[in-house]
Amino acid sequence: MAKLKYAYYPGCASQAITRESNETTRRVARILGIELHDMPAANCCGAGLMTDYDYELSLALNARIFAQAEEMGMDIMTICSTCLMVMNKANRDLTSNPGLLESTNAILGEAGLKYGGKVKVKQLLWVLAEDYGFDRLKKKVKKPLSWLKAAPFYGCHSLRPSDALGFDDPEDPRSLEEAIGALGGEVVDYAGKTKCCGFQIDLVNEEAAVEMTGRRLTGALDKGADCMVTPCPFCHINLDNYQSMAEKKLSRKIDLPVFHFSQLVGLALGMSPAELGLSRHLVSPEKIVR
Amino acid sequence: MRLKLKIRRCDPMKTGACSPFLQAYDVEAEEGMTVLEALISIAETDDPSLSFRRSCRSAICGSCAVTVNGFPKLACNTQIIPEHRKRGQLVLEPLANHRVLKDLIVDMDPFWRKFEKTTPFLIPKEEPEGGWKITGEDQAVIDDSQKCIMCGSCNAACNTLDVDPGFVGPAASAKAWRFVGDVREADGERRLKDLSAEHGVWDCVRCMHCTEYCPKGVDPLKAIEQLRSRAMGAGIVDNHGAKHTLAMAESIKRVGRLDEAAMTFKTLGILRSLGMIPFGLKMEIHGKMPHPIIFPAIEKMEEVKKIYEAVEEKRKKERGGEG
Repeated sequence: MAKLKYAYYPGCASQAITRESNETTRRVARILGIELHDMPAANCCGAGLMTDYDYELSLALNARIFAQAEEMGMDIMTICSTCLMVMNKANRDLTSNPGLLESTNAILGEAGLKYGGKVKVKQLLWVLAEDYGFDRLKKKVKKPLSWLKAAPFYGCHSLRPSDALGFDDPEDPRSLEEAIGALGGEVVDYAGKTKCCGFQIDLVNEEAAVEMTGRRLTGALDKGADCMVTPCPFCHINLDNYQSMAEKKLSRKIDLPVFHFSQLVGLALGMSPAELGLSRHLVSPEKIVR
Repeated sequence: MRLKLKIRRCDPMKTGACSPFLQAYDVEAEEGMTVLEALISIAETDDPSLSFRRSCRSAICGSCAVTVNGFPKLACNTQIIPEHRKRGQLVLEPLANHRVLKDLIVDMDPFWRKFEKTTPFLIPKEEPEGGWKITGEDQAVIDDSQKCIMCGSCNAACNTLDVDPGFVGPAASAKAWRFVGDVREADGERRLKDLSAEHGVWDCVRCMHCTEYCPKGVDPLKAIEQLRSRAMGAGIVDNHGAKHTLAMAESIKRVGRLDEAAMTFKTLGILRSLGMIPFGLKMEIHGKMPHPIIFPAIEKMEEVKKIYEAVEEKRKKERGGEG
């Protein structure tokens, strides 16, 4: 099998606030033999906010990222669900509408760039599910997570809009469940795993955002989960960093550790808590790690 | 083939309060049979007390939206065999985010109140001499929003409405865009001010569910994005949502990416940012506090600046064209 290689786009959050996710992903990729090639000139995808600001500008900024990957001759791998959604939506619009690709290239041309419409954008979860394969992943597991009851949390942007992403079934997703299974863990099913964590309105309507965060966490907790796992750094920010606010809002103790997807993989591959950056979490997962 | 349908029922008129229970019915399913046909068959042959709304049976009237295996769908254009095959069961429930009146029938009054609040009719400018000339492009921007059949699927799928019933919601937002986006509309700015206030379009979490579950391709999220865009363009920026977005645009133009500390400060202003200090300290202990002073720019920033300039130039020309 040809070696898997990607233009690596961790996203802004994973280069700063959730950088444990980025560092773990790099280590995991090294162990699995997936080549990640840095994109030091890549800009922010706009996280959806730039679509509100100016749709055409947002398309051009995303096309700039795609043009870089095209130049590298690789597809893009991100570890952020929001980047995944924004980039795939932009790519859908650009590749399904020749006029739009042309007008966007006219803007890119001012910066000496051009996008040919040939790049695909995937996420770590997606890469492991479809390109690497969970069977192969299972063979690499050194420390099966047999003691772990993990509640998968997809959030919104790893599955929707399905006409732009085309990954998994947004109504009955299996990829995270299969991944947890391949790593030896037990899957805890609960309502709300494909609903919103609230992140996008943290600064706009904190009360509503924290209510969403709390409902997702308690939904998993009430079904007996001892941790959650999410592929999205923004979901992680709310589920972990905002968890104490959710506890206050719902007047109940939650204390549910939340893993980045890459960390759960890393844990089963035998990485140490320090390598996984677990001390960076506000709700400590270290007490449930064996 | 015999299929089992589980239907969430309740009759508050009988019991005084809605105490829902699941009732199972066996249906003789034929290839192509819709959820609505199954419901009609149950009501006609098995249980006449089962209540649900329906009218046109052709995905036009918007009456029959229900929750099918957890997600809002029109009963009349959803087939039971593939739905049952996909999930191994078929559970029908009333629309979420709506109060249940009886069985699958929900109270649509709050839904209509939200529409009414958006003044759902054109307030026209004075007609130019020789009459209006509407181009295909003018029409295209509001085309999708006119496809709405008011079935309530988007509001049922809305993650913000789930926790905050006061939110304007995707359906009324799409309707508002139909008028704000109309070149003949005179009162667009007043509408945008109302929609930028509390419970307005900035409370949308961009969860994509409204667009995913609209059975008619209205794309309410796109309408919300365009309303936000127009509001900022009209200078209606004194709210956290617009401030956050403008801070993002500024951050990318300056360093090519998201400068979290600067964005939080610009969005919340000095007073609320001070209120976040205890939270910030906790973040700092875990090494999660972003440090703006050492925030490096991406490589080849000049390309990003040129892209911004090209779009700004384009906007300037468009505005010139209007004047």
